[in-house]
Amino acid sequence: MSTVASITVTAEIQRFDPSQDAEPRFESFEVSGLANMSVLDVVRSIYENQAGDLAFQFACRVGRCGTCAVRVNGRPVLACQERCKAQMRIEPLKPFPALRDLVVDRTEIESRLASFELAPLRNNAHPGQPELIAPDLAAKLCHMDSCLLCMVCVSACPAVEERPFDGPAFMLKLRHMAEHPADRRDRLDQALQGGMLECFNCDVCTQVCPADLSPAQAIRDFRRELFFGRGKEA
Amino acid sequence: MATASDIFLEHADVVVAGSGAAGMRAAIAAHDAGANVVLLAKGPRRANHTRMSGGRYNVVSGLNPADGNDAFFRDTIDSGVGINNHELTRILVDEALARAYDLEEYGLAWDRTEADKYYMSMTGGGTYVRTLGSIDEGIGITEVMLHQMHKRGIRICDFHMLTDVIRDGGGCVAGGLVIDLSKGVWRFFSAPTVIIATGGTSQLYETSSGPTINTGDGIAIALRAGAELVDVEFMQFIPISFVYPQGARGYTLTEPAHYGPRHFDPNAEAAQLLNVKGERFVLKHDPLRKEGSTRDVLARAIMLEILEGRGTPEGGVYMVPDPAVFDAFLRERPIYVKRLLENYGEPQARLQAPIQVMPSALYTLGGVRIDRWCRTCVPGLLAAGEAAGGVHGANRLGGSSMPDIQVFGRRAGMAAADDAKAARAPGDAGLEQARARVAELTAPMQRADGVRPTEVKRRVQKLMWDHVGLVRTANRLEESLRAFTDLRENVMPRLKVTNKSRVLNREWMESLELANLLDLAQVMAATSIERKETRGAFYRTDFPETDPDWTANLWVRRESGRVLVEKHAVAGSATPATAEAARVAAAS
Repeated sequence: MSTVASITVTAEIQRFDPSQDAEPRFESFEVSGLANMSVLDVVRSIYENQAGDLAFQFACRVGRCGTCAVRVNGRPVLACQERCKAQMRIEPLKPFPALRDLVVDRTEIESRLASFELAPLRNNAHPGQPELIAPDLAAKLCHMDSCLLCMVCVSACPAVEERPFDGPAFMLKLRHMAEHPADRRDRLDQALQGGMLECFNCDVCTQVCPADLSPAQAIRDFRRELFFGRGKEA
Repeated sequence: MATASDIFLEHADVVVAGSGAAGMRAAIAAHDAGANVVLLAKGPRRANHTRMSGGRYNVVSGLNPADGNDAFFRDTIDSGVGINNHELTRILVDEALARAYDLEEYGLAWDRTEADKYYMSMTGGGTYVRTLGSIDEGIGITEVMLHQMHKRGIRICDFHMLTDVIRDGGGCVAGGLVIDLSKGVWRFFSAPTVIIATGGTSQLYETSSGPTINTGDGIAIALRAGAELVDVEFMQFIPISFVYPQGARGYTLTEPAHYGPRHFDPNAEAAQLLNVKGERFVLKHDPLRKEGSTRDVLARAIMLEILEGRGTPEGGVYMVPDPAVFDAFLRERPIYVKRLLENYGEPQARLQAPIQVMPSALYTLGGVRIDRWCRTCVPGLLAAGEAAGGVHGANRLGGSSMPDIQVFGRRAGMAAADDAKAARAPGDAGLEQARARVAELTAPMQRADGVRPTEVKRRVQKLMWDHVGLVRTANRLEESLRAFTDLRENVMPRLKVTNKSRVLNREWMESLELANLLDLAQVMAATSIERKETRGAFYRTDFPETDPDWTANLWVRRESGRVLVEKHAVAGSATPATAEAARVAAAS
């Protein structure tokens, strides 16, 4: 829009190439543009106009693929959904190993997800007609399934930093299956194995979630189930 | 440290290129048929086009008694203006329901009105309420499929870009040459079958809806490997997409905001579209269906207003939404409401004020020519999903790509597993060819001076948007074709990569993508020149009428570097087959 003011951004970007550098360093760039530029817009502009050697990751640019997460001034965000600031220090997402510059290695994340066996464990084959799921529950399952696995919540979680806790997103994924009427695996036990009780209940994960989900609520639901039990619908 | 010519040799029965739903469904089916499968993702596995879809799924579920398979078939052929491969369309219609249940078995919860009744609505071009929905479920579809991949222990290689399919002396697939972008090392996956499921090529256009990885790699690779393409002159543009912010320009903003009450009622009217003069310009183009018309008609109507100077300064037109559908909009598309709120304002997000919209490149209608089991004319090479052509003809119904990728992904996987069993393991046949190819593909890394791939990509995108987009005409198409040839001959050999590090070198990846984009730009311009009519998404100002003689498909193949375009009768239709070799287009 023509009414949007302009801004000059100073972005300090962490640079690190494991094939050449011993230590990460910071490089500073200036980018001018509309004040409503996203962090991703700034990073793309730097790549296109100033640093053709910058490694960064994005695909959809609209908050759906979840692959552009970085830290901006210490706070984990999706680069495409976060508005730029005049002063930005942009770093790769913690606590994951950096492949190069702003791109992290997700190998460990993916193997952890696989280890949770998130496909429903069914007693019976699918009926070959709409499975009986109450509409409200179906809507809830759909919402929980829109988790991007972007790792923004895991990166922001203070319990992950201090304690043996896999992190909020994983608890949400487990809860999604715990709520699924067809699944027979003991998801509560998996959540406990993943360190669910280590959560501080601070709700930071909910506040930072780019998909407006609440992993904290998923954890509270697991805790309620642990303390008070839960009859699963047939 | 690996040198440029080092290639790691690996083996598989089936190599699947692409981590969207077509690729994952193919991998699952091939694995279940006993094959050893490896799936390649160019970026992280979640960087795919399926993920960006709303996940709406056309299917005759039996829940709308007025609807039936023949009606779905008819709608698809009508929307495709008769040039769909009728056999493929029939398969899509007949198998969509079983695949929707597969997804539910995988753990997807389709949205419901009752415990055993799915929520259904209308989409672009359909005449019946038949589209299943879920809440922004492109994401959910990819997640439940990933869980099935994990369950089976199927190997997924992130940051692995297929660069070429290598054939043995007999012309059969010997494997895939792949660059592991995360390390900058080459791998040759020796395999008797390769499935192309790399999606479309919307990145050819300045304004597009899809992810930046959709550079048509697999389609161009198949063409180089000897496969035929079909219908590549047809590109689908979504009429209603975001105009701003700049970073999200072109992202789809469509049903139900656009459809209004028509979302649930085929007789109701869609949101009105107005130019800057306040004129309801769609009436000139489709007085009957008005704004409820098909995507092709609406996109063209909007583009013409913009080109003729009746668009907004930002390059859009106004859509006047119906606030009565806000609740459905919020329920089905919460993310869109959020985007409108952030970038347009609260009245727009609540559908209470006009929203600026523009057309955007959405879906590659053409692609690799396949048979009913997704086989190409190259033994061992298969294709499925957006990378394949023929299912949707000249225009695709909204909600039909989701069943397409499930139905044909599965077929490709099953057929590849069968073919792999019947074939002899290729061993290291093809390794020498792969090595020679590596030297060519590494050339931009060796140059100290030259042009950056980003600059060339921008030029191609501008040419495609202006001249090979929504509005085409002979002299502009010919001019573009000459420009593409010039870029291939004179600029591509001068491509350089700023940094010589082999780890996650984005410019190097872009130089590989650019070669694929240019190959496709060339065939898209060449076929567009050939088709002298207007049909579906394809509009020629110099031939504005649909010509019955052109109820036919253009096939493209490459022989000794030359592009050959042939006109063929529509497969599986009642029309008698009369293949007519049309023309030899520009040599590369």
